[in-house]
Amino acid sequence: MAGKCAVCRSDEAMSSSFLIDELVTCTCSESRMIIDSHTHVDRFGWYDPPETIIRLMDEARVGKSVIMTYVDAPDVKGSLEYIAEAVQKYPNRLIGYARMNPRRGEEAQQLFRKAMEEYGFKGLKLHTAGCRCHPARQETIDLIRLATKYDAPVLFHCGDEEFTLPLQIAEAANACPDATVILGHCGGYFHTEDALRAAERYPNIILETSGMPYPRVIKEAVKRVGAGRVLYASDGPGCDPTIEVHKVKMAGLHGDDEEAIFYRNIKKILDNVAVRRT
Amino acid sequence: MIVDAHIYLGTSLFGYGQSLQEISNNMEHLGISKAVLVPVKPRDYHMGPMNELVANAVRKHPDRFLGLCRVDPWQGEAAVVEVQKRFEEHGACGLYLDPWEENFQANDKITYPIIEEAKRYNKPVVLNAGHARVSHPTQIRDIASQYPAVQFVACNGGQINISGMLLFEARRMLDACPNIAIETAGTYREDFIEEVVTEVGEDRVLFASGNPVYDQKFEMTRIQFAHLTEAQKEKLWEANALRIFGV
Repeated sequence: MAGKCAVCRSDEAMSSSFLIDELVTCTCSESRMIIDSHTHVDRFGWYDPPETIIRLMDEARVGKSVIMTYVDAPDVKGSLEYIAEAVQKYPNRLIGYARMNPRRGEEAQQLFRKAMEEYGFKGLKLHTAGCRCHPARQETIDLIRLATKYDAPVLFHCGDEEFTLPLQIAEAANACPDATVILGHCGGYFHTEDALRAAERYPNIILETSGMPYPRVIKEAVKRVGAGRVLYASDGPGCDPTIEVHKVKMAGLHGDDEEAIFYRNIKKILDNVAVRRT
Repeated sequence: MIVDAHIYLGTSLFGYGQSLQEISNNMEHLGISKAVLVPVKPRDYHMGPMNELVANAVRKHPDRFLGLCRVDPWQGEAAVVEVQKRFEEHGACGLYLDPWEENFQANDKITYPIIEEAKRYNKPVVLNAGHARVSHPTQIRDIASQYPAVQFVACNGGQINISGMLLFEARRMLDACPNIAIETAGTYREDFIEEVVTEVGEDRVLFASGNPVYDQKFEMTRIQFAHLTEAQKEKLWEANALRIFGV
């Protein structure tokens, strides 16, 4: 299939079998596809319309990005719909995750079902400091288990604050062994070692590179848990996807490991998400 | 020219460290012409010999290095004497205070006599900023407000918080205190650097790597790829550091 390249906008583009959906890329562009596993689109808190991340993706030659709001549903009405609209506007570039507040119990579960079944979302995002909800609290576990019914990944904000610490999230991963639990930011500035420990202990934990400032931690993660359990992400548009790409490249990995981190791992996770009614 | 406003020299109590030769090799490799050396806290806890190590490096390579003097405010009068000695006899270009590693609050009264010396000698005070409980932006703002004639430099963009929850407070700190500049090393979110340059002032941001705590090559990308003009970047790479450190 020929057309305009979604990455570099060249007219000499063709489809590629490893890509999600029908994304068309250029053979003369970057030799591989990059999928950004964690970015933001929002109009409720910080104002970041989809065009902002699309512009930065183009600069970084990122083909697709997973997007989510900075705010939680159901607390902020219309937040899931805003993501759904952005994905509808850029179906070849954006993939939606539903950011939810587990403390809202059944209401949150119903909305998450709607996001997955009607809006075509591909995952769950939890910022458990933002909603003041322990990762292993029962309501959180219930929501993780619901996501697991769709084989949808659960992306946690995992940094240095209470309720986001790697060993707290590890409790949830332990309680939900079938869930794919992603540690976004890989423990932030001061808890990267705990993130690595958690990933070593629980095989359903995946490490994600965004924001944390240490290329050496990416290298260490590959050494200790394997490249198959590390995802590239930027946390854009605040963190620049171009700079975040360079961070992964500075880890000095083998080409095959880089390829896994930049797109193969997340593609496999997202391809596995089931469209079913629960 | 690229000036790296923050590179640690020595072997730290906390496990990180590097020699002068390693620093020089990295600078050569990355095209960095000049650097401000910061003494680490050594395993024997004595800052004096580390200040001497930095002073020797500056004496040996005056075109390449500047050096900060580091003291532990808990040492009281001995710290004051060490600061005076480094400013008067050894040409230290500023004072480095590390509330995180020396375990004091940036605005604690124990810092006053030391900052008074910086004021007396007209030297900048570089603060390891953004650490919860000891160098929160509100605490940096508090001490900088008490010394409006002293130039402060807040490391890490003044905030270390990967949720972005300190961005607002760091911006308030900068708006309230024109005598505070920030270093770029480890700063959460490149758009914060761009915001400070364009909305607060292009004279208020210094490129710094914080190497080896942070990765020197990676830290350079924050400026390389910033959505700023070349003239603005030149200030971040060079002019602001040279002005603040009196070169």
